[in-house]
Amino acid sequence: MPDSRSTDPDADFISVRDFSYAYGSTQVLHGINLSIHRRRITALIGPSGCGKSTLLRAINRINDLVEGAAPVSGSIHIDGVNIYDPAVDVIALRRNVGMVFQKYNPFPRSIYENTVYGLRLAGITDRAQLDEAAEQSLRLAALWDEVKDRLDEMATSLSGGQQQRLCIARAVALRPRVLLMDEPCAALDPIATARIEDLIAQLRDRFSFVIVTHNMEQAKRLSDRTAFLYRGKLIEEGDTLDIFGNPAQPLTEQYVTGRLV
Amino acid sequence: MSDSPSQNPFIATDRGASLRRVAMAWSLRLMTGFIVLVTLAILLHIGWKGAPVLFKTQAPFVNTAFLSKLPSTLHVISDRDGRVIETDNRGAEVLKKQLGPNLREEKTISYSGGGILGPIVGTALLVLVSVSVALLLGVASAIYLSEYARPGKTVELIRLAILNLAGVPSVVFGLFGLGAFVLTAPVLTNSPLERSLLIIPLGFAKLSFQGWDTCVLSGGFTLAFVILPVIITASEQCLAAVPQGFRETSMALGATRWQAIRSAVLPFAMPGILTSSILGIARAAGETAPIMFTAALAFKDKLPWQRDLPALAADASWWAHWEQSVQRLLGLFTESVQALPYHIYTLAARIPNNEYAQRAQYGSVLVFLLLVASLSLCSMLLRRRLRRKYKW
Repeated sequence: MPDSRSTDPDADFISVRDFSYAYGSTQVLHGINLSIHRRRITALIGPSGCGKSTLLRAINRINDLVEGAAPVSGSIHIDGVNIYDPAVDVIALRRNVGMVFQKYNPFPRSIYENTVYGLRLAGITDRAQLDEAAEQSLRLAALWDEVKDRLDEMATSLSGGQQQRLCIARAVALRPRVLLMDEPCAALDPIATARIEDLIAQLRDRFSFVIVTHNMEQAKRLSDRTAFLYRGKLIEEGDTLDIFGNPAQPLTEQYVTGRLV
Repeated sequence: MSDSPSQNPFIATDRGASLRRVAMAWSLRLMTGFIVLVTLAILLHIGWKGAPVLFKTQAPFVNTAFLSKLPSTLHVISDRDGRVIETDNRGAEVLKKQLGPNLREEKTISYSGGGILGPIVGTALLVLVSVSVALLLGVASAIYLSEYARPGKTVELIRLAILNLAGVPSVVFGLFGLGAFVLTAPVLTNSPLERSLLIIPLGFAKLSFQGWDTCVLSGGFTLAFVILPVIITASEQCLAAVPQGFRETSMALGATRWQAIRSAVLPFAMPGILTSSILGIARAAGETAPIMFTAALAFKDKLPWQRDLPALAADASWWAHWEQSVQRLLGLFTESVQALPYHIYTLAARIPNNEYAQRAQYGSVLVFLLLVASLSLCSMLLRRRLRRKYKW
């Protein structure tokens, strides 16, 4: 696995440099440096309140919605573009950086309307084009076979796991380059979780994934790279095998072996 | 309590305490019962007195004349044989001629004859205008307050002002409506009135701040301000009840703030907003004071669209006919009307009380009550249906 900073553009696809972030006067991220590789799965792990969700939500600037939340210093570049540059169009950024949330939250509309929601926002009205995109997205999310005969039913009538896969379909419909996932399986049972993990594994060569997870087994199973955050600081990042098998920092070792309080 | 093992340690020692508990429970129960009793008494009283006016024993069981005629003066004529006949103006004339010297007595009771179609139509129009205006303004400001405005002192101040609006006595709204809408609101006209406060020439016409006069529009706008606090508060609650995740998801998929509100917040808040606005309708329909100076008349022998216009010549162009029809239609908003609550007030307090006036009065009250109750019922059914549909 490549691990160089500047030689391989894929290795530095999302480049977080000296990134600090605060909610009002409370600083929650302190000088994070992290490289997220293109078409790899990167897991962000760490105890509750360590700032991993904040970091994730800073990558598509969805945290801008939170009152008083803003970067203090540093930058995040995606493919060489500083996403906190005033010239950046946040809407275009978010179309390219999809997000799946912890609690599956399809809108109380039909399955079809949920899938094409982002495309409709983008102004696409051609029915054939939408139909095509809906089918492709649902196939990508491994949901097509289960829902193809009832696309007009309410999305909320699906099971929890199906609803979360629908949310993934909704996100991939825009063909983003990055998919951010905030504990995507936290609200699901083990079987549904396994299906989502399979799905993410299938999609690994199409999107660059960043996954926040509490579940270390999941990080181990799924991810190519892992970053460990603790109290707003990045303690260690590297190949998942190294982080879990041969961590450089004692803190990381304590955490992955479950001994960190 | 004693430590001796033979004695039951849980035995009640203070009989007074348990008596006091029972007495407390019963006094609360009785007070609640009293309220229920009074409510029942009111409803039964109105039902008992009003039902004979509104319903009939033969098909079609409903007194259609009462619902489909305009109010008029009631003439009660009794002759020397002891017969008593109730009739309207024209019937009275004919009858008096017929009876001649046989006439014993004629009583006339204002407003109590005919039916109450005028007040029903007037109330419906007032409600339509006020709810449309209040929904537009109320939902807009609720969206601003809960989705756009930064939380802080200003927003709190605005909320406080809105809450205070709910506490303003309705007669004050009436006076406000008189000053603002009846006498000052701007109209487009070519010949402004002399009392116009300000005239702005606009080339094709003049914008004159001379008021809308006493009409449905003035009354509707005034009522809109009466129910605005209810609608704003309810709308804010409904918007807040939509999960934050919907907004985030929508914006994470590339929605602008307005797109997110329009497509992922408002549709799911709308059922609640609509049901609570139906309660606003009941309030708007019931207010008397705000419309007394702005829209309502004690008596009017025409429906709003039956406006007096100069008769057209037999060979008048289709354009003249068309113009008159439009003017009549606009009468829906520009004419003054009768309204149910004001009609009831007139019957009960402005004319000598007798059995005939009371009859009309209780009939109107029953119809009014049924209208309001059916609105509340609609709101409940709608809410239940939509709750089932939109769950998350």
